[in-house]
Amino acid sequence: MKKFVLMVLLFLFVFSLTIAQSNVVSIWSWRTQDQEVWQKVEKVLNERGINVKIDFRAFIPTEYDSKMLIALQSGTGPDIVYSRRLPGGRTKNLIDAGLLVPITDKVDFSHFSPSVLNFIKDNDEVYGVPFAVQVVGIFYNKDIYDKYGLKEPETWDELVENARILKKNGVTPFFIPGKEAWALAMQHAMCGVSVLGPEWIEKLEKGETDFMDPKWIDLNRRLNELKQFYQDGFLANSTDDMNAAFAFEQAAMVFYGIWGLQQWRNLNPEINVGYFMVPPVSKDQKPYAYVYMDGALALTSNSKNPELALEVLKFAATPEFGTIFSNITFNIPGMMGATTPDDPLFREAVEVAEKHASPKVYWVGSIFVTQKPSLYDDVLAPGMQEMYAGKITPEEFAKKAQDALSQWFEPLKKRLGK
Amino acid sequence: MRVKYRKLLPFILPALLIYMTFIIYPFAYSFFLSFFSWNGVGEKIFVGIKNFKEMLFGNYSKEFFNALGHNIYIFIMLTIFELGLGFVIATLLATNIKGRRVFQTIAYLPNIISMVLVGFIWSMMLNPQWGLINQFLRTIGLGFLAKPWLGDPNTALNTIIFVNIWRNVGFYVLVMLAAIIDIPPELFEAAYMDGASNWKVVWRIIFPLTVPTFQTLVVLLFIWSFNIFDVVYALEGVQAGPFRSTDVLGTLFYRTAFGGLGSAATDLGLGAAVAVLIFMMVIPLSLLYVFLVERRSKR
Repeated sequence: MKKFVLMVLLFLFVFSLTIAQSNVVSIWSWRTQDQEVWQKVEKVLNERGINVKIDFRAFIPTEYDSKMLIALQSGTGPDIVYSRRLPGGRTKNLIDAGLLVPITDKVDFSHFSPSVLNFIKDNDEVYGVPFAVQVVGIFYNKDIYDKYGLKEPETWDELVENARILKKNGVTPFFIPGKEAWALAMQHAMCGVSVLGPEWIEKLEKGETDFMDPKWIDLNRRLNELKQFYQDGFLANSTDDMNAAFAFEQAAMVFYGIWGLQQWRNLNPEINVGYFMVPPVSKDQKPYAYVYMDGALALTSNSKNPELALEVLKFAATPEFGTIFSNITFNIPGMMGATTPDDPLFREAVEVAEKHASPKVYWVGSIFVTQKPSLYDDVLAPGMQEMYAGKITPEEFAKKAQDALSQWFEPLKKRLGK
Repeated sequence: MRVKYRKLLPFILPALLIYMTFIIYPFAYSFFLSFFSWNGVGEKIFVGIKNFKEMLFGNYSKEFFNALGHNIYIFIMLTIFELGLGFVIATLLATNIKGRRVFQTIAYLPNIISMVLVGFIWSMMLNPQWGLINQFLRTIGLGFLAKPWLGDPNTALNTIIFVNIWRNVGFYVLVMLAAIIDIPPELFEAAYMDGASNWKVVWRIIFPLTVPTFQTLVVLLFIWSFNIFDVVYALEGVQAGPFRSTDVLGTLFYRTAFGGLGSAATDLGLGAAVAVLIFMMVIPLSLLYVFLVERRSKR
């Protein structure tokens, strides 16, 4: 009798576990700040009669990709993963191996612009729901600008003049996180879209120009000359140092992304931040912003609950999700029509993303970072530090780019007769 | 009485299984993988010795030899300073000075702090604007010596070595102290009765009798120096900045196998080739270590 009761209890326990697990949709990410978003989404979906329990797990960004890859390969991966943008080796590999499932006809993408969707399209199939768009540029302290009677610069020379006035008055014009090479690569790229312009980048893509072009060398030189306006010892500073210094008004400007806003406000709710795109060389040139899709929510072939996971993705493609997402994380949502936070700077960034995004780029989201040696990892990141440290000239920096990319980038190889 | 191997097997098997699974299999697989080009998913493409050629003579040779040079430099510096300081401090502690136990604990204390925490603490201390080190230098009138320690290519690697010494010297103090205590006290008594100075005692008695310990520690230091990763990662990240001036084989392996920044392509085969090359450099010294330890235990 005892045995029978034990068996029944065991059966009930296993059965209840199975029932409990059947409505779970697991999501893996590198973004810890999204935990609250998914709690809210779960609540909204439950209120709508969709019985789903969202199990959200975030990993350290540098370890995320390998953990996710191993899990998906061994069949123990989650239902949904945060995937990186295309073109990019990591996501392309997952698609080619059939680990991500196309959702082109399964989700309504009418709220997304084609340019955003392109970042997660492969062979005309959409592989995820874009969750955020990032805008990078120059963020400045409005109070400091007002104090010295400065206005947003329209040309590079005006930017340099503003920096000169600030320095003369004992204010650090720029705080640069030079220890973090990625931030320097980003600085180069955000200056490039305005100073060189998307037309020049398009020529580079087609092999009609190369990195030894005087324009590219001139951009390197301009950046190198700007370092006289950076804080002392800037090559040893991290982004944490930068966030603290900017939030506490120790510096007037930073080259950064809109994602920094939340942290600056957390550190100093009184801070009055403004934004402008990196100004071009002359007034007859149009300034551009570096805008890129941060990542997408992708359905995996490992999913134990594909139908329910699809319900979550369908919701993630609605402006309602965008409203939840942007109000919690202070990031620009991937889709249009969401009610974003009522903040003038945030609204400006959204407008910039919609109207002034450079159609051609050479950092993340570009062809130049898809193979090794990559323009990002192997050229811009170490090269900017090397140039800033005075170890190489702007010309030598350009030569490094030429040598690295001409190893694999076909249009450049062809141009150089390799 | 002869013990039958069959009877020993159940006792050895669990440990053997763990060793095979976590040591032998990953290494054998890395060796296998080093002959392939593989991005982590999909088909592995056999490329023969191409990965090794790329590392030693091809596109990655500059990075490889740059990193290797740093590993060798780290080994030399750690041998001089960690072992040297370890010996000096251990000799002082062996003299029964007042508060010996306290000093011993203080010397060993950093060793129990995790490397991530060490990286965090020293990043703060070395901050060029508000870090304690530069503030202290300015306060005592040596402001001209204040530097961006981790951002200057001329000081970054030596700073990392210094942090490493700060953390690990306690271990060498303990080992050397144990070796010194092991020396029969009669030798010291006889030396002092014959009128030997402290310097002579250290140089003629303590040093020669601790040479076997030195030998073992040098071999261990060589192995650790070639596997160094955590301290560089904690202070400079996998990019090993500024511009690879702190790059070591461990960070080069990480970047080639798992990628460094953003969406760059990766090749686990290339990373495995770096791992195999590290192994080939370390294994002869590991065998020497085993030989030295065996020889000492037989005495």
